[in-house]
Formats: sequence, structure tokens, C-alpha cells
Amino acid sequence: MSQGRWVGRDVLRVDGLEKVTGAARYLADVKLPRMLYAQVVRSPHPHARVREVDVSRALSVAGVRAVATGRDFPFHVGIYLKDQTVFATDRVRFVGDPVAAVAAESPEAAREAAALVRVEYEPLPALFDVRQGILPDAPLVHPDLGKYQVVPWITPQAGTNICNHLKVRKGDYHAALKTAAHVVENTFVVPQVQHVPMEVHGSAARMDLSGKLEVLTSAQSPFTVRHLLCACFGLSHGDVRVMVPQVGGGFGGKAGINLEPIVTALAMRVPGRWVRLVLTRAEEFYAAVVRQGLVATLTTGVDRSGKVVAQRMHYLWDCGAYGGYGVNVVRAAGYTCGGAYEFPNVWGDSIGVYTNRPVGSAYRGFGMQEIHWALEQQMDMVAHEIGEDPIAFRLKNCLGPGKRTVTGQLLDEHSGRVDQCIQRVAQAFSEPLATRPGRLRGRGLACAVKAPAMPNDAASSVLLKFCEDGVLEVLVSGIDYGQGLRTVAAQFAAEALNLPIEQVRVRNLPDTDLSPYDWQTVASRQTWATGNAILRAAEKCKAQLFETASQVLGAPVERLALRDGQVVDTGGAGRVPITRLVMGYQFPDGHVIGGPVAAAAHHVPEGLLFLDPQTSQSAKPVAKWTFGAQGVEISVDPDTGHIQVDRVVACYDVGQVVNQGLILGQTYGGVVQGLGTGLMEELKLDLLTGKAQNANLVDYKIPTALDVPAALEASFVETPQKDGPMGARGIGEHTMIPTPAALANALYAACGIRIQEMPLTAEKVRAALREKRAKG
Amino acid sequence: MQERLDYRKAHSVEEALTLFQDLPRSRYMAGGTDLLPRARGSGQAPSRLVDIKGIPELSRIEELPSGDLRIGAAVSVAAVAAHPTVRQRFSALSLCASALGSYPLRNRATVVGNICNASPCADTAAALLCLDATVLCVGPAGPRRIPIHEFFVGPGQTSLASGELALAVEIPAASAGGRAELGRLSRRQGVDIATVAVLLSVLPQRSPRHRVALLSVAPTPRRASEAETLLDQRGPSAANAAAEAAMAAARPIDDVRGTAAYRREMVGVLLTRAVRALGAA
Repeated sequence: MSQGRWVGRDVLRVDGLEKVTGAARYLADVKLPRMLYAQVVRSPHPHARVREVDVSRALSVAGVRAVATGRDFPFHVGIYLKDQTVFATDRVRFVGDPVAAVAAESPEAAREAAALVRVEYEPLPALFDVRQGILPDAPLVHPDLGKYQVVPWITPQAGTNICNHLKVRKGDYHAALKTAAHVVENTFVVPQVQHVPMEVHGSAARMDLSGKLEVLTSAQSPFTVRHLLCACFGLSHGDVRVMVPQVGGGFGGKAGINLEPIVTALAMRVPGRWVRLVLTRAEEFYAAVVRQGLVATLTTGVDRSGKVVAQRMHYLWDCGAYGGYGVNVVRAAGYTCGGAYEFPNVWGDSIGVYTNRPVGSAYRGFGMQEIHWALEQQMDMVAHEIGEDPIAFRLKNCLGPGKRTVTGQLLDEHSGRVDQCIQRVAQAFSEPLATRPGRLRGRGLACAVKAPAMPNDAASSVLLKFCEDGVLEVLVSGIDYGQGLRTVAAQFAAEALNLPIEQVRVRNLPDTDLSPYDWQTVASRQTWATGNAILRAAEKCKAQLFETASQVLGAPVERLALRDGQVVDTGGAGRVPITRLVMGYQFPDGHVIGGPVAAAAHHVPEGLLFLDPQTSQSAKPVAKWTFGAQGVEISVDPDTGHIQVDRVVACYDVGQVVNQGLILGQTYGGVVQGLGTGLMEELKLDLLTGKAQNANLVDYKIPTALDVPAALEASFVETPQKDGPMGARGIGEHTMIPTPAALANALYAACGIRIQEMPLTAEKVRAALREKRAKG
Repeated sequence: MQERLDYRKAHSVEEALTLFQDLPRSRYMAGGTDLLPRARGSGQAPSRLVDIKGIPELSRIEELPSGDLRIGAAVSVAAVAAHPTVRQRFSALSLCASALGSYPLRNRATVVGNICNASPCADTAAALLCLDATVLCVGPAGPRRIPIHEFFVGPGQTSLASGELALAVEIPAASAGGRAELGRLSRRQGVDIATVAVLLSVLPQRSPRHRVALLSVAPTPRRASEAETLLDQRGPSAANAAAEAAMAAARPIDDVRGTAAYRREMVGVLLTRAVRALGAA
């Protein structure tokens, strides 16, 4: 592991004290002056025509200041596909779809008024299954799909329920399949799950009497929120200010735009008043966004040597009622459809399908855990079919330098090494697994790969400026919602300017009026993108300091160096503290040179190219790949079906570890979140009513500390990323991608049963064991 | 019309009864850990909550001269689980109390509240059923004692009359001693409602000596008396027969936590294991 003075070390969180003392303030902590409380009127039907919305009784409730409906705000919104309106206009598409909203002086008055909004619905046939959704006679969730605005690289199919379809065609799949010695086909299913951040969604807005809009929101993307609000309401970017307080987790659920249009609509109705909406935990489950469901069918053809010669992947994504953000999950899953493997002949289809389920969106992993659930089980199943060891089979077929991805991108020696990650995990499993009385034990392994899914121009910019006392202020606009961006930003700045870390202050409660632009905090891109921008800005600051110091010391710039807050002439002409330089240097006679030292810089991914619209082939469709592998050891109770996870071993090629403590936190956290989706999480709908049956923490379970395995091990390969800051690449999402598939593979190793529908509940395990016994 | 919830803290039993009667749709509240989430979710919020946690006489665990143990209605589950007498003499209750919810929840929730909530999965109900507890209550018609076996009527329903306040639960001295084994399945390792649970308790001074209580497999927590008889008659060798009998006694349903078939099957598995564990001890 390479280490700088700060980068690569175990630097404590710079915002730790604020968090543990409770000084950090979140949206719900903020009492805004003369604030109104909002309540959303939501559809009780999964699919219905809206005949009439009568707000007269709601308006008569004491304390009600505004009611807004789709008639008042029929504006479309959506990050990639504008398929949603602020409030339903002619139809509702899921239980929870906003129909109207109320702003009142008290939460009680808002609730009472919301209950009095009378909506006349005409129920329509509802669609809950993507396999039915693609049939020709399926009810259409969006009859107007052909009329929506959409970015050029998303392809909704008018007259169907398909909101995006990415095709990957590489080599000659059909011809190659005919040559295969073995063909294996399987279908895998992933249900919708919820992010369950500690802090639920919340937003507040105020439009002043001059028409300027302020929005305070728990969000991952303040600038994208501003941009989309302007597009939605026809406002100028100069008149919209978006601010983000501390955010208590997001996991993708707060990416893009969420509650902001609703509070904006209300705020426009009551100029001068703040309107705040904070979801209940129940609303968070069914009315905020969820992870998309997936039905994946894979066909693999292998030759006699154990090389995959043909691979077909058919992904049907359950996007729910709206695909504004989810369409890009479909796209990302398409261009990554082969996972961590080199397949010479590929037929891939990634298809987003509307249903009348909750709205699918970004979720840590952005489709990757879902496709890896299929891909990584399939690799094991093929290996067993041909009698090969699953690890050897993976090493034979995995990507690496000189190999080409499904889109034809050539990987080089900087691209990361999944083979080394596999070998590390295999090494950790070299000892035979000890038996345990009454338990069936097994080990499983799965790989992971993910690239950032973002537009080719997704940018991060930063501003560095010095205070009078030599403290460096670093303005970054990524959101630190727990992953540690502020700390990493401080490390890069301190490293580049060779400053004590205590002399760096990261200013990071983004405010679009004052902060430098950042596209979004998604795609595991902040350490990489913001890190690069900081290093560049630091070089500019250094140049300014050196230019002044050079005149002060009478030494050429090339001889100068920064050491502990001083500019030193390595040629011996002396030194000058940066405190004398950061506001400009004053000579004894009173004249001043230089001035306040400050610099801005940005990072935009280099040289990204669009995918070919028919085949998705492209020399550089994405900026980078992060590879990894995880192994798990489990004990199965054959009588109850309960799976105990005894040990998880994770290895990722991160290019460069930036912070030793934070990367372990990311890895452990991702593994545990992966265990949650793998073992217990599923948002269950009543298929008669379309209502979520477990929209609460009583019956939607996520892991607690008691579910964390006794042994959690993480290690890192460091193949430097060419365009990464000091070689680093993203890791935030990748840590939860392979876990469920590794569990499923371990389950097969332990007791010879294969469960292809996530999650691996005790009841499913027990039923599969019984079925296996019955078959003998 | 949505009203604001009227919260009142009572300082004596008499005050609690009066406060309750002042308003329709009043509810007594101890920990509130079941009451408040349910009130929020159902749209049938009580108009008034009468908090009984501040009533001193309800906040005690007392060993009576008879050797009976009395647990006041305001005593937390955590306090019961950790109480030395409970641990030594009534280990079944300590076992069940420790299994309920999480540390923070157990610090807030009360044993009496747990049974008044009358959920089919009420953890402490399993122990109280096996220990032949009695619920002490008082209402407009005066005080009375309800045997725990007559206390649970249906899901969320007890034999308490309207306005009647459960003051305490008493466990008879004759139920002291013995051993207990709790088999409890849930979707995660802790902080979860039992999908199904079986408590086996062996009480040397009682008849039947074996006590089997089932959770989450019937409209109320319940005993499996046939299984108990079989175990009394034939000891651990009756494990399989007792398991069959307990499975037959179960009346489970399908719900979001599990299917009826799985629950029934697990009653058998858990009881067999409990018999084996106690037999071997």
C-alpha cells in the first residue's frame, strides 16, 4: 500500500465531533421562521384515472394556507425521462402517487385537510409483473410515453410499457452457441427493496415576494435539483437557490429530484412562507423511491476447455410507475451486462418496464447487485455442470488487461485486476472448513464490477481559498452523507499543499448560490472526481504562493517547496511562512505583491464516447471499472432453514487506498447491506390492492449489529487508476454488489440447493431442502 | 376531525381511573411501545393517553410473604429480565423477557403492557402462561384477579373490561424453580417479532410439570396441553409425539412474517429441540 503524508493513512473523520455531539443539524432539526407544514394526498389505487379533485373542503380547514393539485401544476419532471408530473393530472400509477398537497400552520391541520381532499378515481387494471408488462395486451402505464422529453441515449418505446431498452451485440452469439459443448440457461429474480436511510426524505421551500426560490433539502444532488426545478417550473437558475444541510444517509434514494417539486409548488402558492415536508417512515417505504426489481434470464454456452463462447443476458427491470432515474439503471446494467467476465459473443438486452409498483430509482450498486445475483450464480452453475471448480472457471473467463468488455472496450494494465481479488479470497479459504454438529456448512464466492453510471459531462468543481491565519478552506459540493467525502477532501488538499490536516477546513454544506458546481453525489464518483479537482486546484494555489515567494526570497520558482506551512527555497535562500503570503506579501516599505490565494478547478471524465445505438459497442463508454470479489462462509440449520453467516472476506482493487478507516467502513457497511438484501429484505405488495404490506420497520427488516458476521475481513489490491487522484478509483457501491450471490453459492455448497429468487429466507431454504429430500 | 392527542400522566391509580373515564376512546399507556406506533398507523388514534408510569405503587417488583412475586404494571421488561429473583426462581420469564425487542425497547416496554397488548407473539405471555400467573386489575366495578389463562381473548383483545386497569401480574410461589428452554425464530438475529416461538418449562412443584407455550401460531399466545401431558407421562422419549401434539394445537395463519405451514412445522422442530436441551441438561 503506497502512502503519502495523509493519503493512504487512517485519518479520523473531520466531521466526527459534529456528528457524535449532535451539533450536526439535519432537515428535521431546522425550524424555519413562520414555517408551514406540508402533507401529501396520495393515491390509494395502484392504477386509476383521476376524474376530479375537489379541494374546497380542505381549504376550509382552519390554518390551511394552500392546496396544490395537478391542475395547478401539470409540469413534467424527471432527470433523464420526464415521465412524471408534480402531482397526478389524469391518472395515478401506484399506491402513494401524489395527487395534491396541503400547506398548513400545523401538521394536524395539514393532515386533516389532506384527508378532506376528495378525489374521484376510476380504477384501471393494474400491472405488477414485468413479464406481463411486455406482453402486447398488457395495460399501458404510460399511454403518452411517446410524448415525453427524454435524453438522446434513453430509448422509450411508445405504445408499450418499455421505458428504456439497451441492446448489446458483440461477436456472433447465435453461431457461437451452436459450437458450445454445454449450454446452461437459468432465470433469477430480485424483488423491489427500499434504501431505509436513517434520515427519511425531507424538503422545504420558500418563494420570496420578488419571486426568488429557496429550497432546503435532504438530497444527494443540489445542483441537479436546481437544474430540474428550473426546467419543471420555468424558472431561471439565477432565481433558484438549493441548500443541503447534513444528510443522514441516502444510498441513491436521494439522488436526482424527489420531494423538491412538491414543496416548490406549495411555496409558489404562499409567497413569503417556508413550506416543509418530511415523510413518515411509512411513506419512505412506498412513496419515496425503491430499488428496481429484476427478472434475469441467462444463457451460457461453454466449450470443452471451459471457456464461455456465447452468453445471452436478458434483463427485465421493474421500474415501477415512473422511470425518470431508473432508466439509467437499465442502461448501466446493459453496458455492464457481462459482469466481471470476458465473453467473446454476446447477446444482451436490458429492458426497463413500467408497472404499478413503487417508483424504482438509484440504489447503491445501481443495478449491479441485481445482475450479479444472476451472473455470479450462473457462473457457479455452469462450473458445476461442466465439472470444474467455480474459482478456476472464473479465473479462466474473467476480465483483465488485454481483455475486452461486452461493449468492446479494451482493458489495460491500469484497469484493475479481478483475478487478483479472486485469488486473495481463495487464499483466505485455503483451509478446509471446520464442521459443526447439526449444521450444514459451505463457502461461496462471487465477483463484482461496476463503472460510474453518469452522463459523459458529469462534472465536479472545487474552490480552495486561504484564510488570514493560513488555514485552507476547501469548498466541495459533493454530499458527505456518511461515506467520508469531507475527510477524503481534507486529505487530498493537505497532501498536495503539504499542510497539517488540522490546517484544512472542508466547507461542505452545499448552497448553489455560493458553492462550486457538482453534478451529483452518486456513482461512487466523489473521491475520484472531487479528489482530482482538489489536486488541480491545489497546484494552482501552490503556483500563486510560489510566484509571490519567489519574489520575496529572490529564488526561482523551480527551487521552491512547501513544508509545514512555509515556502522553502531548497537552494538555501531562506523561507517564508505562508501566513505572510496568503493575503499578499507586504514588504518593509509597505508595498504589497500578490493577493488572497484562491483557486478553482474541475474534473470532467476524459474522452467518453457514446455507445453505438444498435450494438452498444464503444471504445470508451465509461470512465473506469472497479473490480472485486467476496467470499462467504455460512452454517445452515437444516431443520429451520436459518442461515448463519460466519465469515465474509472481501477484496477490491481500489487503485489506491485513500483512508484506511473509511475504506473499511465502506466495505463492512456494504457487506452488511448486501447481507440484508440477500437474506431478509423485500418490499411486499398486496397484489389485490397494490399496497405495501410491510411499509414499516416492524415487518421490513434490515440487519442490526447482531446480524454482523463474527469475522469480516477486507483487503485491497492497488493497481493505480490512470486518471484517478493519486491512482484511486471508486469503491462506495461495489462493496454490496457480490454479497447475495456469494451467499447463494455458499448455500449450494453447504446443502446442494439453489435459490434463484432473492432474498434467501429461512422459509425458502427449508422448503428447498424438503423438496430436495423428496426427490431423493 | 383530527384532534390533538390528550396526554395525561396519572400519579395514583384513582387518578388514572378518573382520567380514563373523562373521555371516550381513552387508553392506558405504560411503555407505549406498541400503543404509539399502532395509534399512528391505524387512523383510530385514542383521544387520550393516561400514562401510568408515574404511579409509585405500580413501579415495584415485590416478593410477597407467601413467596409469590408481584410485578407492577410500570416495571420495564429490562428490569424484570435482570431481576435476581426472576432469574433464580422464574427463569422462564427472564428468558422470554430477554428475547423481547431490543435493549432500548425493553427499557421502555413493560411486562404488563406486553400482555395487555395481547399480541399472539407477546414474548412474556409465553412465560406467564407456563407459570400460571394472575393479572391484578381494578376498574369502575372494583378490583379483581384474572387468571392468565382467561386473560387473552383474541388478537389485541383481553378480558379486561372497558376502563379496567391492569395493576400487576402475580406469579405463584409454587411455580418457582425448574428450568426452561425458549426456541424462537425470527427474520433477523434480534430486534424482531417471533415468527414462531415455543417455550418449554419444567416446574417441579406443579402439575403438569411440563409446560409448553406457543407464540405466533394462534389468535392468542397459548399452551399446548396435550404435549405437556405426553411429556409428563413419558419424559424426553415423548419428544416426537409431543411435537406432533403441539403442531396439532397450533392454529397458524399466513402473513408477511411467514406461512402457516412453516410455522406449524417449526413448532415441532422447536419443541423437539427444547425437550432435547432440557433432557440433556
